[in-house]
Amino acid sequence: MSDQRVFSRYKASEIRADLQNVELKKAKMNTLRRKAALKKIIANLTLGNYAEMIQLFPDILKFWKVEDDMEVKRICHEYTRTIGSIKPRSTVESMPNIMEDLKSHDEDLQIMALETLVNIPFTKFTEEAFNFIIGLVNRRSTSSRLLKTAIYSLLQLDDWDHERVMSLSNILYEIVEQHLESPSVQIAALKTLYTLHDKNKKLEPFSLSVDIAYNLLDIIPELNEWDTSSLLECLVVTVVPTTHSDAYEMINIALSQLQHVNTSVSLNALKFILYLINYVDEIDVSITERLSNSVVALLEKPSELQFLILRNIILLLLTREKPIIQVDVSYFFIEFNDPIYIKDTKLECLYLLANESTLPRILEELEQYSTDIDIQMSRKAVRAIGNLAVKLGDIAADNCVDTLLHLAEFGVDYVVQEIISVFKNILRKYPNRYRKELILFTKYMDCIQEPESKNAMIWIVSNYSEILHNYAELFDIFIADITDEPPEVQFSILNASVKLFVKSPSPHIENICMTLFKTFTEEVNNPDLRGRAFMYWKLLSMAKERPNLLNEDMLKDIVDGELPVIELNSKLDPVILEELELNIGSITSIYLKPTVQIFRQNKIKSLPQSPVLNANKNSLIITHSKQVVSDPIKRDSNHTSSSSLKDVPSTKGSRISTMGDYDRPAQKVNELKGKRKSSSDSPVKNLTRKPSLLIRKLSLKRNK
Amino acid sequence: MTSALYVLSENLESLICKNIKALPSIEYPVQQFQKVYQSNQSPVIHYENIMTFVHIRRDSLIFLAVVDRLDSFLMEILTYLDQFYELLKSYLDVKTLNRRLLLDNCTLVMELIDESLDYGVIQVTDSGIMRDYIRIKVNVPELSTNGEGNSDNIEVCSCSSSSSESESGNEPGKPKQKKKHKHKHKHRHKHDTKKKTVQDTKKDIEDLTKNVVGTLSSDPLTLIDKNRKKKSKNDIEDMIEEEDANNFMNSDIAKTTIMAVSWRTKGIHYAKNEFFLDVIEKVEYLMDFTSNVIRKNSIHGEIVCKSFLSGMPTLKVSINKILDQDKQFLTNCKFHQCVPTEDIEKAKEIEFIPPDGPFVLCKYDLKRHVRDEPMVKLTSFEIKPKFKKFKLKMYITIETHFKTTNSTSQLNLKIPIKHILHDYTIDLSKNIKFKCDEGRILFNVSDDFLLWEIDSMKGGHGENKLSMGVEFALFNKAEYAREQEELKNSMNPPPLRQGPKLEELYRQVHEHDPEGHTNDLIMAPAPPPVIDQPVTKLEDKDRLLKLSFEIPYLTASGLKIEYLKIEEPQLEYQSFPWVRYKIVSDPEYTYLIY
Repeated sequence: MSDQRVFSRYKASEIRADLQNVELKKAKMNTLRRKAALKKIIANLTLGNYAEMIQLFPDILKFWKVEDDMEVKRICHEYTRTIGSIKPRSTVESMPNIMEDLKSHDEDLQIMALETLVNIPFTKFTEEAFNFIIGLVNRRSTSSRLLKTAIYSLLQLDDWDHERVMSLSNILYEIVEQHLESPSVQIAALKTLYTLHDKNKKLEPFSLSVDIAYNLLDIIPELNEWDTSSLLECLVVTVVPTTHSDAYEMINIALSQLQHVNTSVSLNALKFILYLINYVDEIDVSITERLSNSVVALLEKPSELQFLILRNIILLLLTREKPIIQVDVSYFFIEFNDPIYIKDTKLECLYLLANESTLPRILEELEQYSTDIDIQMSRKAVRAIGNLAVKLGDIAADNCVDTLLHLAEFGVDYVVQEIISVFKNILRKYPNRYRKELILFTKYMDCIQEPESKNAMIWIVSNYSEILHNYAELFDIFIADITDEPPEVQFSILNASVKLFVKSPSPHIENICMTLFKTFTEEVNNPDLRGRAFMYWKLLSMAKERPNLLNEDMLKDIVDGELPVIELNSKLDPVILEELELNIGSITSIYLKPTVQIFRQNKIKSLPQSPVLNANKNSLIITHSKQVVSDPIKRDSNHTSSSSLKDVPSTKGSRISTMGDYDRPAQKVNELKGKRKSSSDSPVKNLTRKPSLLIRKLSLKRNK
Repeated sequence: MTSALYVLSENLESLICKNIKALPSIEYPVQQFQKVYQSNQSPVIHYENIMTFVHIRRDSLIFLAVVDRLDSFLMEILTYLDQFYELLKSYLDVKTLNRRLLLDNCTLVMELIDESLDYGVIQVTDSGIMRDYIRIKVNVPELSTNGEGNSDNIEVCSCSSSSSESESGNEPGKPKQKKKHKHKHKHRHKHDTKKKTVQDTKKDIEDLTKNVVGTLSSDPLTLIDKNRKKKSKNDIEDMIEEEDANNFMNSDIAKTTIMAVSWRTKGIHYAKNEFFLDVIEKVEYLMDFTSNVIRKNSIHGEIVCKSFLSGMPTLKVSINKILDQDKQFLTNCKFHQCVPTEDIEKAKEIEFIPPDGPFVLCKYDLKRHVRDEPMVKLTSFEIKPKFKKFKLKMYITIETHFKTTNSTSQLNLKIPIKHILHDYTIDLSKNIKFKCDEGRILFNVSDDFLLWEIDSMKGGHGENKLSMGVEFALFNKAEYAREQEELKNSMNPPPLRQGPKLEELYRQVHEHDPEGHTNDLIMAPAPPPVIDQPVTKLEDKDRLLKLSFEIPYLTASGLKIEYLKIEEPQLEYQSFPWVRYKIVSDPEYTYLIY
C-alpha cells in the first residue's frame, strides 16, 4: 500500500482485481487491501478519470452492503457524490443503499447519506431528501447536529427545487423566532433564510424584528466562532433599529466582538457597527477609537487577509467626508517584502489619506519608493506624487513638484519619463503656476522613449511654445522618424503641429504641417489617422481660402480651445457608497464597484428606512464622552430649531435626491493604476456641512 | 459561498478537489483559474462575471476556493482557507506542507473539508475538536515505509481493531481508529521532554535507513522483521494502551460543536493536572542605520497555553495590563473564542473554560515608542577601507537594553557582506581575520554573510557592550603580479598554503549563480583578474543586518500574569499552573546597513 501507487491513473480492471483478488486470504488483509483499492478510486476521481471509474460502480455497491466500516462507507458516499454530480442518472442503483444508511441509527451515517442525496441533481434523490428533511423538522426531538445539516442542505436543494424549499421556509422562521432549538441550529436557520432571500430576486428582502435580533445577539456567548460570524453577517440590513437606543445597544454588543481572534468575526462586527451607525445621531469618540484600533490590529494578518482589510479601509476612508476611522499614515508605509498587491493597495490608501498635514511624511515615503529597485513600484510612486499634486491644493502641489524635480535630477530613464507624464496633468490643473519648472524638463528630451511620456512632452511643447524658445528644435526631434511611431504618438504629433501652426504661423511649422499631412495621408496605413490628417488639412486650407467662413479666431478655438481644468475626484456616488459600505468584506469592496456591475442577478443592498435613519452620512457627530450629558450649547440649538420643525420633510422616500451636494458624477477611484481618466467637467465643490441639515437632525432627535 | 475547493500544486495542477455545490464540472473552474492566475496576483480574482477565485499561497501550495455568489463575505472564506491550512498542518503534524504529503493523505484531507464545510457554510476549523471527529491514520513519509514491513503493520492493526470492536457495542458506528502510529505516541510526550523526541526522531531515521537498506536487499521482509522484532515487543504493549486511549470515544463528543462550550469536550481526564501558560513576545525592530531613522518598533505578543486539565475547569487569569486599564493593550488584544469578550474592560480578571491541548489565549500587538531602546541595539557599524595597506576593516558594536538580572539565551548576528564583496575586490586567498569580545564568528561562503554567535549576553542599560572586528584583505594588484612573476621565474614550487581555500570554495559556490558573481573576486591561481565590476543585483535583503535572540523570563511590554487560578468545582483536584515569559526576536528585527 505504498502511497505512490495510490495516486496515479488506473484502469477499472486493475482496481477491480485489487478489490476481488484477495478474498481468499485472511480477513484483516482483505480490509486493508480493499481500503487501499478504494482510496485509489478516490484518487482517480480527483485526477478526473471518470470514465474508467464509473465502470466500478457495481463493485462499489457490493462492498457498500457488506462493509460496516466507517471509512469504507465514507469513500462509497464520496464516490457516489462525485459520479452523481457528473452523471446523476447512473447512480440510481445506489438508492437503496443510501436509504438504508439514512434510516440507520448512527448520526454520522445519516448525515453522510443526506449529503449524498442532496448533492446529486436528480429528482428521485431530491424527492427523498425532502421527505427526510420534512420528517426531521416536524419531529421535535431530533439531534441538533442532524437538524443543522438538514437545514444547511436546503441551500443546495434550492438549486434543484426552489418551490419546495420555500414551502419549508415557515418552519425556518419559526426556529429563528421561537428560540426552540439549540443556538447553532438557530443560526443555521437564520443563515439559510438569509441566503435564500438574498439569492432570489423575487423574494422580499429578509427582515427580522428588533426583539428577535436581541434574542439572537444574546446567544453569542454560546456560539462558535463561525456561527458568530454568520450571525453578525446576517443581521446587517435585516434588522432595522427603530430607536436610537436600540442601535446603541446593538453597537455595544457588537463592539466586544471586535476583539475576536477570528478575522472574519471581527470584520463582520465592524460591518455591523458601521451599518448601525447610520441609525444613531452621535457616537462617542471611544467607539470610533475602538473601530480604528481593531482595523489596525487586523493589519497584522497574513498578506492575503491584509489585502482585503486594506481594500475595506479604502472604502471606509471614502464613505464619509470625515472618515469614521482614524488610522495613522505610517501603517500604510510599504515594506520591501510586501507582495505587489499589498503595495498597490497601500499606495492607494496613502493617496486617499493625504492632506495638508500628512503630505510631508507621505511625500518623503513616496520619494523613497520612487528610487526603489522595482521599476513598476517606482513608476507607481511617481505617479502617485503627481496625482497628489492634482488632488490637493496649490501649496501642496508646490511640494510635490519640488519632489518630482528632485527625483528627475537622478536622471533615471523610466522615472523621468513617468515624471513628464504626470507633469502634464499638473500643468493642466495649474496652467500658469509652473512655467519656470517646465523649462527644466526640456533637457531630458533624450530619455523620452515611451508613447505616454512622448505624448505628454509633445503636449507640453505645443502648449507652452511661447515660453520654450527652442520649441521648433524640440519639435523636430519628435518628427524625425514619424512613420515608425506608434499611432497614439502620431496622433498627438499631428494635433500638436496644427496647434503650433495656428498659434504662430511660421514657415517652418507650416512646412512641418505639410509634410505631416502628406505622410499621414499617403504613406501611413491607418484610416483614422488619414481621416484626421485630411480633416486638419481641409480646415487649414479653408481658413486660408475663405476667411469669411472660418476666421482665425474660430480656427484657434477649434484647434487650440480652452481645456477644462482637470480634477482628481476620489468621491463615489453616495448611493453606490452606501451599497459598498453594506458590502464590506465582499467582492464589491475589492473592486469598489456597485453590485450590479459585477453580478447582474444580485440584489442591491440599501439601508432600510427607519425613523432614526440619518439622512446625511456626514451629519454624524462624534462626541467626547464627558460632554454628551451636559452640553448647554447643544441644548440651546435644539431649542431654537424647534421653530423650523414643520419644514422637516419626512425622511422616508427619496432622501438622497434632496441633497444638492451629491450630484457629481461617479468616478473611478483606482487612479493610481493604469491610465488616468482624470478629466472631470465639474470643479470640486467643497461640501460644506449644511447648517439647515444639522438643525433638522437635531430637531428630529428632540422630537423623538 | 464556496462552491468548490481545491488544493493546487505550484504549477497549478489540482491535487485535491472537492465539489461542494455539485458543480456540473469540477475541472472547469480550475482550468479557468490556470488561465487567469499569475504569481503574485491579488488573492481575489473575479472571473468573467461567473465566479470568483479566492486563493492563498502557503508553502508551495495554493489553496483555492471558487465562490459562486458575489456578496459572499470573502473575509470568511479567506480566513477559512488560512485556518484550513493551519488545520492540515496540525493534523499532519508538520511544519510545512508539500505536494507529496497531501497526495498521501488525500482521503484525510477530503474528510477534513467535508467536516469543516457544510454546503459551503463553515462549521469548525479547530483542530482539537476535529481530531475527535476524524480519526484517519496520518500518512507521514517516514512512516509510509512501514508499509513495506507488512507483518509488523498488521500485528498492530489486529490488536487495535480488537480493542475497537470491544467498544463498538457502546457506540456503534463511530469512526473507528484502525491504526495508531507510534508517531502520535511521541507527539503526546513532546511537551514534557523535548530531548526525547529528538532522540526518537533520530531513532526513526535510523529505522528508515535500515528499512531502505532492507528493501534493497533480496529478501526485504525478513530483514525488516529482524530489526523490528526487538522493538515491537515493548512497542506494541505501549501501543495497545495508546490505542485504548485513542479509541475511547466519549459519547458527548459528537455534540461538542453544537454545545454552548463548543471548544471543549466533556469527560477529559488527566492523571496530572497541569496548565502551561507562556507569554511570548516577538519584538520587531527595523532601523535604517544609514539615515538613523527607526522604521518599526513594535511588539507582537502571544499568550500560548497548553492545557492538560480534567473535567470542565474554570480558569481565572489576571493580567496586569487589564488591571491597570492599559488602553493600548485593551484595544489591541484579540482573545480566543473561549474568552467572553463582553466585559474585559471592566473586569479585573479574565475567566474562561480553556480548550484541551495547546491553544493561543490571546494575541496583541503593541507599538513601542520610537525612543524606547531596542532590546539589543546596534550602536556602531563601520567599514574602514585602508587602501594603502590593502586592508578593509569592519567593526560592529552592540549593547543591551533590558533588565540587568536577565540575559539572552541565544544571540546571533547575521551580517550580510555581499555589498562589501561587491564594492571592493576582496582577496579571499588571504585569511579573513576575526576578533570578537565573546562568541565566535563564522563566514557563510554560499550566502555571503558573517554569523556572529554570542550565546549569552547580560542585560543592561547601555553599559554592557560587545564588539567585534573583521579584517578582509583587499586585492593587491602589484603584489599579485609580482608573485606571478616570481612563480614563473623561480624553480621553487609554489608555497604551501594551510587552511581552507576560501577563494576556490567561493568560486565553486557562485559558479552556478546566474548573475555571474564569479568575477567579483580575485582568485589567486585564477585567470587574469578582471577588475571591471559586473552588474550584480543586490537585493534588499543583502542590506539587512539581522539579529536573532531569545531572552527568557522577561516581557518587553511589561506584561505580567498576576495570578492564575484553576477551579474545577466537581473534581476539585490539585492542579499545577506554570507561567513562563520569553522575548523572541521577530524575523524582522533588522538594521538596514549600507
